[in-house]
Amino acid sequence: MVRTSTWIRLFLVLLCCFGAAAFLLAQQQTEGCIARIEQNGRVIRTVDLRGVTAPYELVLEAEDGGYNTVQVSPGSIAVIAADCPDGICVAHGAISKSGDPIVCLPHRLIITIEAAEKDAVDSVSQ
Amino acid sequence: MTTKKLTYMALLTAVALIIFVIEAQIPSPIPVPGVKLGLANIITVFAMFRLKPKETFLILVCRILLGAVFAGQMMTLLYSFCGGMCCFFLMLLMRRIVTEEQIWVCSVAGAMAHNLGQLAAAMAVVKTFGLIVYLPVLMVSGMLAGAFTGFCAQYLLKHLKKLGTY
Repeated sequence: MVRTSTWIRLFLVLLCCFGAAAFLLAQQQTEGCIARIEQNGRVIRTVDLRGVTAPYELVLEAEDGGYNTVQVSPGSIAVIAADCPDGICVAHGAISKSGDPIVCLPHRLIITIEAAEKDAVDSVSQ
Repeated sequence: MTTKKLTYMALLTAVALIIFVIEAQIPSPIPVPGVKLGLANIITVFAMFRLKPKETFLILVCRILLGAVFAGQMMTLLYSFCGGMCCFFLMLLMRRIVTEEQIWVCSVAGAMAHNLGQLAAAMAVVKTFGLIVYLPVLMVSGMLAGAFTGFCAQYLLKHLKKLGTY
């Protein structure tokens, strides 16, 4: 039999590891400007958020007849309304960084942010 | 399977379903898919240590299917099912190596397996590997929620033992 203290130690180590991983992942997020909207694993739309001047809304229909209303704003994107049962996509709020995707699993929708293609010259040299 | 056993299993399924439906009404504090308390797991752990594996399996499958129907989340059935199966089979193995005072350990491992299975199913469905960023958060939440439900089940087992047969 494994002693209880051994289990506690094992779980504490794992807890620290995953906690650190979560923290590091949060640090790794970078500002991006290309929003990619995928449904059922297919990219259905990509939006360059730099080119957005006024906020507008998109209504995405899901396979089961449900919907997600996406609001595209200058520099950020959010799901503002949906009829999925859990409402996690709406609760997520607006995103503007990579590594922080909005997911609506009931509607198989995922919105991610990516950095624009690297320019040959960076903004300082320009 | 005696009528008494069948009734007992049906009762456990009903209790698990009630817990599941009520929990579904509580909004998630963290907007990450899959982060929840998983209180219905108390019944799975309880059954795991009181009944035969086959009977526990039936209770779990019934609860997942009926839970999806009652909560109106048919689309999420696949995720719950994958998670539930991973949880069940890991707990089945863990059951042999834990003592009566370590039942919560089994539940923690089960919760982690559940979240892992659910994440794998989600990645397969949306065909996006990027969901892996949720892995650390899901593991931490699984361990905390699993410890909580595990202790609940452990004390439930300990005190129900005093009642006799069950």
